[in-house]
Amino acid sequence: MLLPLTLEALLKIALLIAGLMTAAAYFVLLERWIAAWVQDRLGPNRVGVPLTKIRLFGLGQPIADGVKFLFKAEFTPGHVDKFIYFLAPMSIFAAAILVFAVIPFGSALPPNIFPASWGVGEPIQLVAAPGIDVGMIYVFAVGSIAVYGVVLGGWASNNKYSFLGGLRSGAQLISYELPLGLGILGVVLASGSLRLETIISQQAQSGAWNCFLQPLGFLVFAVASFAEAGRLPFDLPEAEQELVGGYHTEYSGIKLMMYLVAEFLHMITASFLIAILFLGGWHFWGLTDGGGPDGNTVTWVVAVLRIIVLLAKVMAMILFFMVVRWSWPRFRYDQLMDIGWKVMIPWGLANLIAVAVWVEYGDRIAHSLGLPPLLCMGLCGFVILLLGWYVATKADPTLNDNRPRRRLISPDRHVEKIEV
Amino acid sequence: MHDPHIILILTTLLGAVGLWLMLPRGTHRGRSVGIILTAVALGAGASQLPYLGDWLTESIFGVLAAVTVVSAAATIAFRNPVYCAIWFGLTLLGTAGLFLFAGAQFLAVATIVVYAGAILVTFLFVLMLAQPEGKAAYDRVSWEALLSAVLGMVFVGVLSMAIVGVFTAPREAKERPVAPPAAKELAENVLVPQHVAALGTELFGKHLIAVEVAGALLLAALVGAAVIVAQGKMEEKNERNAQQKRD
Repeated sequence: MLLPLTLEALLKIALLIAGLMTAAAYFVLLERWIAAWVQDRLGPNRVGVPLTKIRLFGLGQPIADGVKFLFKAEFTPGHVDKFIYFLAPMSIFAAAILVFAVIPFGSALPPNIFPASWGVGEPIQLVAAPGIDVGMIYVFAVGSIAVYGVVLGGWASNNKYSFLGGLRSGAQLISYELPLGLGILGVVLASGSLRLETIISQQAQSGAWNCFLQPLGFLVFAVASFAEAGRLPFDLPEAEQELVGGYHTEYSGIKLMMYLVAEFLHMITASFLIAILFLGGWHFWGLTDGGGPDGNTVTWVVAVLRIIVLLAKVMAMILFFMVVRWSWPRFRYDQLMDIGWKVMIPWGLANLIAVAVWVEYGDRIAHSLGLPPLLCMGLCGFVILLLGWYVATKADPTLNDNRPRRRLISPDRHVEKIEV
Repeated sequence: MHDPHIILILTTLLGAVGLWLMLPRGTHRGRSVGIILTAVALGAGASQLPYLGDWLTESIFGVLAAVTVVSAAATIAFRNPVYCAIWFGLTLLGTAGLFLFAGAQFLAVATIVVYAGAILVTFLFVLMLAQPEGKAAYDRVSWEALLSAVLGMVFVGVLSMAIVGVFTAPREAKERPVAPPAAKELAENVLVPQHVAALGTELFGKHLIAVEVAGALLLAALVGAAVIVAQGKMEEKNERNAQQKRD
């Protein structure tokens, strides 16, 4: 009993790590292609099969990049704190991989696709650690360890730019953990479980994804996960003009690669979470029906379709991340903190309260209006979104207006501003 | 030497002396002796633990417990405060692992979220901004090293005697005892598949008032912090206005 279970878990872990590392390498290539497309260039298209002249659209580029990183001089500056300097990239990398223990990458594989001699009696859940009842908090906990890699790396480098970069990113990561948690709370409250598999299967059962029911929560969570992944417009850690390379200025070779891969893993995690929590996970109307929401009686066609649907959603989110990178300028530091504390947290709280009210009184409200409950909840969600937007932009007009601040605020406040 | 009394008393004594030698006392003399003594005490204490049933469980528990205890000792033995904080982080991870091992999933992740994710990071910020090299010698030496080491080890010794049951068990226990299976209440309250739901029902049912009071206390602290910051800003502004009037 113990040995097959261990083998199953080890197989899933091997699959996950191999898939994630390959994906991270090829997402670098994809990012460069998208950058080239946005900037009207060709992008990397030369490297193909090694030692031949076959180009293959540049698909060999990630291999060349990886080999270059591995064989680069492993230079450790003399002024660093050696132990922590080594520890920091490892901790951020380990934390980035650990998250995937509870993230499902499909629903379940039916037992009848395996040879009978293997003795697979039950459907195999496509998640490395099935049945963790605290899945969502686990993601949150391991995600909060990533701060250590950033802060320790900046401190151990013993360099003013690194240290400032590390502190700045540390503050950013800690600040945006709050709206991230508030976004998650709305979903958890609505579905009544912290288990990611249950959250997906509930959306599949009702057919209404959480992004339609809680659009404000979706917005808050998406923005916060951009900030947590350190992607533009929130990539203050490496504001080149101000801080050279931020916390990884002093790193080179494979340690720098660990930081960069961890950054891409954060983006993949964020995409998985957005797809699972708000975009219905492996569910798509008409495609993935049949087999039951928990995948107990699934056929292999539906099982494969579910994997494809989930990965397609994740891929779409990653493409969105990459296009956003070349579409918005970086926030200034005060803008970043203002958006986090003065806009995202109130919005997250508003969404949470709305969901709590809906969970308690929703059926009665929908019944008295004579509408289907889900439609009614979606309408309420969008009303809350518009209301939140209106209040936030009224309170601080610079949020959606690019005119200078002095023309947007009233004359008496203007005078006070000059005094200060 | 099979008498658990003697072994546990020996553990306490050795541990106290070893810890005292390991603590930063302003001199490097005797540190390695202290490490050896503490390791011996750890081994002697571990030999008194009940057997857990099979080698896999036993080894997982052993690794987690060793990581927790060793990193806890390192937390107080290191001189550089940043290293102390990192070792403390490892202690927390070990504790979370032990919780997970015992089936308390929520406590495990909550330990990491609250302590490792929030409190320790705040510590690190403060420690990093204060230069450890620039501090005076008396700031980098632990105060009352002997007293604290002895008190700590006596506490550990008494607790482990109570847990192993030395005070109540018959003295001529020759074989290593086997841990009893999980109690019925444990299986019903902790190891249920709907773990978080059971915990939430307990917290917000039986202990609702305690939870609400704790929440109110935290909120008061939050409001207090905001008030202190706002007052500071007001004073600054008043001073500036007074300055302008004088000019």
